[in-house]
Amino acid sequence: MEIGWLVIATLLASAGGVFGWHAIRKGSSSRAAFFWMLGAFVAQLMALEWRGSLRGQCPLNDVGEICLFLAWSMTLFYLVTGTTYRLSLLGTFTVPLVVVLQVTALVPGAFVESPVRVETVDAWREFHAAFSVLSYGALALSAVAGFMFLVLNHRLKSHHFKGGLVYGMPSVHRLVTAMGRITMVGWIVLTVGVISGMKMEGGAMNAHLLVATVTWVLYAVLLGIYFVRGLPGRQLAWAVLVLFIVSLLVFAKL
Amino acid sequence: MKLVCIGLNHETAPVEVREKFALSEQGLDRETKELLEADDIGEGVVLSTCNRTEYYAVINGNGDVKTLEEWICAQRKFVGNLEGLFYYHEARGAAEHLCRVASGMNSMVLGETEIFGQVKKAYQRSLEQGATKIVLNKLFQRAFAVGKKVRTQTGIQEGATSVAGASVELAEKVFGRLNGSTVMVIGAGEMSRQTAQALQSRGASSVLVTNRSFDRAVDLAEEIGGTAVPFDGWEDELEHVDVVIAATGAPHFVVKPRHIEAVRRKRKFRPLIMVDIAVPRDIDPKVGEIEEVYLYDIDTLQEMADQARKRREKQLLLCEDIIREEIDKARLPAVND
Repeated sequence: MEIGWLVIATLLASAGGVFGWHAIRKGSSSRAAFFWMLGAFVAQLMALEWRGSLRGQCPLNDVGEICLFLAWSMTLFYLVTGTTYRLSLLGTFTVPLVVVLQVTALVPGAFVESPVRVETVDAWREFHAAFSVLSYGALALSAVAGFMFLVLNHRLKSHHFKGGLVYGMPSVHRLVTAMGRITMVGWIVLTVGVISGMKMEGGAMNAHLLVATVTWVLYAVLLGIYFVRGLPGRQLAWAVLVLFIVSLLVFAKL
Repeated sequence: MKLVCIGLNHETAPVEVREKFALSEQGLDRETKELLEADDIGEGVVLSTCNRTEYYAVINGNGDVKTLEEWICAQRKFVGNLEGLFYYHEARGAAEHLCRVASGMNSMVLGETEIFGQVKKAYQRSLEQGATKIVLNKLFQRAFAVGKKVRTQTGIQEGATSVAGASVELAEKVFGRLNGSTVMVIGAGEMSRQTAQALQSRGASSVLVTNRSFDRAVDLAEEIGGTAVPFDGWEDELEHVDVVIAATGAPHFVVKPRHIEAVRRKRKFRPLIMVDIAVPRDIDPKVGEIEEVYLYDIDTLQEMADQARKRREKQLLLCEDIIREEIDKARLPAVND
């Protein structure tokens, strides 16, 4: 049944995506997506609990676990921001990413079948891994908001109002605000991750920690410019999108 | 006992005829009272708006809708040509017509919502005068329920069908709620007034009016509760503005890219909606190339309004289905008997 929780989470998220797109086509925002994602979130928790019990530590050691944890953190931030900013449509754009991550985790071999249960746990290492991936959930969501902004902005600037997409999406102002706030949340969580990494046993700066620190600095600069000087929405959207994708690709290469 | 409806509207009568049949609020009360005193009339409701005057009545005995027509013309002392002037509905036809009127399906602006309140008010006045009994009470209550259902279950009132409405729709697409937003109106004409008022009705809290003739700016500002700004000072105000409406009679561009570039940093690159409803245009199209500026001209707004109108027209069949279904279910006296 353990892997079954991940299958259920994937099915629930997929259903949320289908209902969400259907709502967009009709020109309304999807409230239903929130509840489908809530169900997916519970199933993800059960799957994480299974992997955590097997390893005796935070389940962030193989591809399957990293994908699952990232999908979980994205869903968590979606649920939180979805309620706060009422960006229910954001879920519709987030869902495909969550589904892709979970399907990747379901590919045979993504999970190590019989992982070695650890004897001792370095709490700082666990904190570092968990908070870093958690921050990427928020930063991914911010990238999704950036993508939505670019779609809406293009439509509004080029006067393409046909179809339900423009009418079903949140306003420009709401998307820009969401990008700023979600990026800030992700950056704060990443700060905890980076500080935890510096306190790990050995204390040496490894490649992962170096990339995490550089990413942290770049996001700090972006947020500084946005909140102090101001930034056109389109530039902010491209920045959060490119920063997220590039840093993710660099992590994947390590 | 017969339920009848007789009336004229913008489709059957020109304004010079409609105004002869239009009734003031006091006139409505008097007309209703006198209608009840007429021969064979058991119940009556008179509806009078700028686009229509309609009588809903229950006729007892031998009277018919023609008798009612003669009575109305005598009341109004109308002696012109009656051909095609009035439309008539009886029993189920009258009930369905009332539902169409209450739903905005029979209005000049398809799907407009004001008519619902006007029908409700007309019914209320008749009710207070004791002019309605079982037939019209049940009919009007059902029509209100149908009107609500049509509006909530179809897209009959979706989208803006006017230039001013389309401007509001676009502003809301950029800012979400307009509460607390500041609007600048350049040019003090009628279109400026309509658009500014439409934005105010959706929450815009501050309106700045500027015009070459400062007196006209002051007049419009006073009328809409805004603030007049001298024409040589409007550029300084751009820093605080969220929406600009340009509608001057100038033969050249009034707003140029340099005006916006000068305030971008001070505005912290906040989005700016610019609505150009002037012909020739007031805003240089190059302004729309600035990242945070959303520029729309009269053609775009008109196209949006046309599209909304077409979308509403497509909903008509669905609305008719709802009306038929609801009248079937209702078992109204003098309608389904």
